[in-house]
Amino acid sequence: MLDIRHLSFSYDQKAPLLKDISLTVSPGELTVLIGPSGAGKTTLLRCMALLENPQQGEICIDDERLVYPLESQKTFTPPWPKVTVVFQQLFLWPHLTLRENILLPTKHRKDPTIPDKLEALIHAFDMQGFIDKYPNEASLGQRQRVALARALILEPHYLLLDEITSSLDVEQIAKLLSYLKSLRGQNIGIFIITHLLSFARHTADRVFFMADGRIEESGTASILRAPQTERLAQFLSVVATVS
Amino acid sequence: MSVFSILIAYHQAFLQGLGVTLKLCLIIWTSGIAGGIVLGVLGANFPSSWGRLTRLMAFSFSAIPTLVVLFWLHYPAQALFNVVIDPFYTAALTFSLVNLFGIAELVRNAICDFPQQYSLAGQVCGMRHRDIVGHIQLPLLFRQLLPSVMMQQVMMLHVTLFASLISVDELFRVSQRINSLIYRPVEIYTALALFFLMVCLPINLTAVYLKKRYTRNLSER
Repeated sequence: MLDIRHLSFSYDQKAPLLKDISLTVSPGELTVLIGPSGAGKTTLLRCMALLENPQQGEICIDDERLVYPLESQKTFTPPWPKVTVVFQQLFLWPHLTLRENILLPTKHRKDPTIPDKLEALIHAFDMQGFIDKYPNEASLGQRQRVALARALILEPHYLLLDEITSSLDVEQIAKLLSYLKSLRGQNIGIFIITHLLSFARHTADRVFFMADGRIEESGTASILRAPQTERLAQFLSVVATVS
Repeated sequence: MSVFSILIAYHQAFLQGLGVTLKLCLIIWTSGIAGGIVLGVLGANFPSSWGRLTRLMAFSFSAIPTLVVLFWLHYPAQALFNVVIDPFYTAALTFSLVNLFGIAELVRNAICDFPQQYSLAGQVCGMRHRDIVGHIQLPLLFRQLLPSVMMQQVMMLHVTLFASLISVDELFRVSQRINSLIYRPVEIYTALALFFLMVCLPINLTAVYLKKRYTRNLSER
């Protein structure tokens, strides 16, 4: 279980970006985080991946428990790729082909099934036509699929995804989301930041709504149909207007 | 006398001069590149100590004309310390320092400006630090640095001409001496230009080959 308790974080000690955040990502569950831009969603994801050093709170990744502020002597086993991230900007390595991008992190793994897994991912994400291109030769949608494949080939326990559907067409989104749903069966805990409310409504096991650095409301997908807080209701009505 | 007949007649002198120029270049290039990379890496990793030193020295060597440094090390410095150093070594030391701090600053800047997100992507994929350095950082830095480092080495080749001013018998000084004997400036300096073209051509071809082999246009299409 990836468990966050009372997490607070700021870059400059003055204006906290995350205020007393608590949430849980369970294996085999799909947790969705929604919220307006600037709410602190990506910062929270970075904290969950232990890429930031929060000022307060606790992060538990299975048996490993980290209490912030960390004691100066405290060392921890890096959780990657048990917890892995697909960033919104993807960060594919530009000097490698898309295939090499997926395979590079597996270079030292003595897993003979890696080529088969790669082939399965190529097939699952329809990457046959562009897998040997370089990132700058591929479209954003193609790169998003490759970034996701790069994370999935590592068989993470927790997969944190930051707005990875932003540049996919409807058909690709449907494929990707059905693939994500299938991952639940593999006991992977998925945490996804998205603006796709319909996806959250139909697929999410838990939904968290974040605004101004706080979790304003959380629950099952039903909160998107019947919000309990005014802030979420306001957000949903704005999204509905734009849609 | 044509250019080629001058080259043939004085080929021994030209070859001797070329030998000195190439020897000088070899020292400048190897010490500059090797030392510059080490210093640049140190400068990027220890910004308040090595980084400051690198920046200060690189600024000093770019602000003070190389000729002034060369003359200062050749005359006042040697008089001050009461030593006599072979002009060849004075020139080699001066140009090596210029090259070394130039390269160090290029390397330091490239490392400091390296997009950390590429390393971060490797980190969250569970890659070991040495694999991130070896497979992500070094190849990208190499691609970025290659053109500017090659350009700097061609520039250093040109700077070796200054060594003639402190009596190093390099190519330019040999040409001047031959000119003083036969007074055929057009042919002699044309021959000199040809020599430089011949020396620069392999460097240029190497640069083109390395660029073709290791770099690609990374801009999005």
